[in-house]
Amino acid sequence: MHLRPNQQRRASRPMRLLVAASLFLAPAALASAPLDDEPAKEAESEEDKEEVLVLKGGEIHTGLGGVLRDATILVREGKIEAFGYDVDVPEDAEVVDVSGMRVYPGLIAVGSFGLFGSSGNLDDSVDPYNQNMTLALSAGITTAVDGNTVAKLKRGHVQGLVVNTSAFESLSYSNGNPQGQLKVEQDLKGAADYIRAYRAWEDEKKSNKEAKEPSKKGVDQKSLRILRGEVRPCFNADSRTDLLEIAHLAQRFGFRPIINGCREGWTVADELGRAGATAIVTPRSRRPKDESLLREGGSSIENAATLYSHGVNVVVVPASRGISLGGIVGTDLLHLPVEAGFAIRGGLPELAGLRSITIEAARVLGVDYRIGSIEVGKDADLIVTDGDLLHYQTFVQWAIVDGEIVYDKQAEMFFAHIRPRPESALAPAERMDAGEESPADAPEEEPVEETPEGETPDGETSGEGGGEEPQPSEDPEESEDPEESATTAGN
Amino acid sequence: MICLVASTCALLWTAPSAVQGEAVVLRAAKALTCEYEGPGFILDPVVVMRDGKIEAIGPEGSVEIPEGAEVIDYGDRWLAPGFVDLHSHVGGSRGDINDMVFQLNSELRVSPAVIPNNSALEKPLAAGVTTILFIPGSGTNMGGTGVLMKLGIDGYEEALLRDPGSLKIAQGDNPTRWGYGMGRILMNYGLRFRLRRGQAYAKAWDAYLEGEGAKPERELELDIFRFLYAGDTQVSTHTQYYQLVLMTITMLARDFGLPTYIDHGSFDSYLTTPLAKEFGVGAILGPREIMAPRPPRFDTDGRIEGTAWGFQEQGMVDIGFNTDAPVVPQEELTTQAAMGVRYGLRNDRAQGLRGVTIIPARTSGIADRVGSLEPGKHADILVCNGDPIDPRTHFDAVWVNGEKVYDAEVGGQAW
Repeated sequence: MHLRPNQQRRASRPMRLLVAASLFLAPAALASAPLDDEPAKEAESEEDKEEVLVLKGGEIHTGLGGVLRDATILVREGKIEAFGYDVDVPEDAEVVDVSGMRVYPGLIAVGSFGLFGSSGNLDDSVDPYNQNMTLALSAGITTAVDGNTVAKLKRGHVQGLVVNTSAFESLSYSNGNPQGQLKVEQDLKGAADYIRAYRAWEDEKKSNKEAKEPSKKGVDQKSLRILRGEVRPCFNADSRTDLLEIAHLAQRFGFRPIINGCREGWTVADELGRAGATAIVTPRSRRPKDESLLREGGSSIENAATLYSHGVNVVVVPASRGISLGGIVGTDLLHLPVEAGFAIRGGLPELAGLRSITIEAARVLGVDYRIGSIEVGKDADLIVTDGDLLHYQTFVQWAIVDGEIVYDKQAEMFFAHIRPRPESALAPAERMDAGEESPADAPEEEPVEETPEGETPDGETSGEGGGEEPQPSEDPEESEDPEESATTAGN
Repeated sequence: MICLVASTCALLWTAPSAVQGEAVVLRAAKALTCEYEGPGFILDPVVVMRDGKIEAIGPEGSVEIPEGAEVIDYGDRWLAPGFVDLHSHVGGSRGDINDMVFQLNSELRVSPAVIPNNSALEKPLAAGVTTILFIPGSGTNMGGTGVLMKLGIDGYEEALLRDPGSLKIAQGDNPTRWGYGMGRILMNYGLRFRLRRGQAYAKAWDAYLEGEGAKPERELELDIFRFLYAGDTQVSTHTQYYQLVLMTITMLARDFGLPTYIDHGSFDSYLTTPLAKEFGVGAILGPREIMAPRPPRFDTDGRIEGTAWGFQEQGMVDIGFNTDAPVVPQEELTTQAAMGVRYGLRNDRAQGLRGVTIIPARTSGIADRVGSLEPGKHADILVCNGDPIDPRTHFDAVWVNGEKVYDAEVGGQAW
């Protein structure tokens, strides 16, 4: 597969991100410099060399279904320039050998707190050395929503984090508040009437120059934006009644709702599918059925799968949107893929599980043109893992944001001691220069136990029997879980 | 007539399960048998169940399928033993298992609060949990005695595995809220005082039964110590940080010689591993499974350390997991094991799975009946589509005592 695009170098380089230190120097530079872009030039001259990062030999999971084994990704200027099998690697490129590992798009947390040190205007107030940011990167999260801002976890940077400042256009439409519902309907109707009148006027204008443009007065701007398709409204709703009414409202006015919660969505999945809804769900959410009602209700582990099978796009978020070190593990942002695992438990295909924390999340935030999958031209927000991302044992080895390695498991204090990466993977460039084996040829692990067909008794072979999702076909000699060899080598 | 209808109904009711004396045979792609010593798995297994027990199990061809037996072939699915959770508060009514009138309540029993097959156990059963130790809360130093019971079985006697399941002792933290607030010094004094009396009481009864000495006066709050010193039950200790676990081991196991295990072992309790090994104290861990660097300990080099990892690093072999349901939902017992593995527990011999099956069964002294797929044990068998502790794995069917008590095809997947 040859995916190298035309090398269209943009005239102006993308904004280079200043590290904190140079930012502090900036005022002095500005004081002495005339009002032109001299500081930028200075920054550029410091780094004449093009920044090219190459991840070599990994199993690339694009997040859209494509899996490329033993492939290469070329990142230039923070963007994915090419990936595939015959990628030209420039001589001065920083090459990281990721043989035996997997490369995924960085994960997106639709809802977070505390990752950026503070909320509000992140470009002004971010703490780029915040411990939570590092920990979120360790979980594979490269972009998160804080409040209504979509921002990247650009560790060590104070600028260029924000991708989108208005992630959601919230709308409240609950059965518990009939007056509020009426207001929403009136606003939408007013906006719809205005759009109709405006179109009629546009037609009429052609024959009648005197035609009067309809007045915008009193037309709800939010509703207008929704009906024009500029934004998708986001509702917080869990109960079947609310979900049904939102689905009907969406179909009546012709917009695609985003529904946060959607706990009883499985009972009305067909209606939500017809409305083109996207559901942001927590698969482990628990609510017993209201026994006073005859109908189905309450939470269901099959919620995500049922919604998905009815055409609803599914985004997964964990129950706790922060980083928790209080001891109870598995329910916070540190374990976002684990939460997606519970959706898979309920029947969601594996690929949809991966998409629910990458591209579907990007779509819901309106940033899928930049992030959420491995595609040529997209931001190089990547994670390298030691195995199947959705397996409970997998750790992120490297996290890359805008082409820069911002997290390296072995270089951080938190998890370096857990199944350490084999020494060979630490300094690949030097090792290859020395003519030694590449990490892919790392010594065969000694079998833990003589078991037929190379299986371990606990069934480590991840994905096996895990659903109907087509898995990348695995060569027999490579079927060992890379993390197992890491374990053996590390001990 | 009514009799006939009733018996027909009963027959229909038990239709999915094994009729007395008749054998049911399960086949699958793999069985994770989890026996304490041995390979721990069988490929192409054949399991013969009769009268609620496993009559025979082995690879295809090695086991004779009884004539006339119902054979259920689960195809590419795997079989595993039902899971055992040694720290659960959802076996019955929840509000009344934590009486905090006195600090020491060794005479209280949780058995009257048991509600077999209650609705809080529906999802856990679908998650493969078939045995729990239902124990009093940790609001007092001695909460009382718990029961080991089965899930998915109607009727107290039928569901009961053992009463007393354990004597629940809680140290530190929660019991400090008692009364006007109590410090650890007073609590430890109180505990030792009760334990000393209990030890003397058990000795006096032993002596009397051997014909030496007078018959001791019956003291209800000390009766449990006769079970304990006879080795018929254990002390399950709600303990967490290493200082508390240290006290658990030294006071209960070393000084008083009580059969004891760490229950609810959390945080940096692994610092006590050498002592735990020396005094034969088992480690059942959860629901707080990591120790993040924080004062007053600065000796972790910033590492986030898994509790199970810490025990294993220092040579502890038998490491189990518990939920403390509803603190962590009962149905997430396997997730506890999975997180133990994630944070460093070597899983090369299925330690994660063993930590929710044979290890807790042995720790609580019921491994003769549950915890593994071996002939003679209860037929508590799970049917799953992969690694049983992977959150992505679901259970297609659950058999308890040879009866199918959960079927995902009937009424949907409950968890």
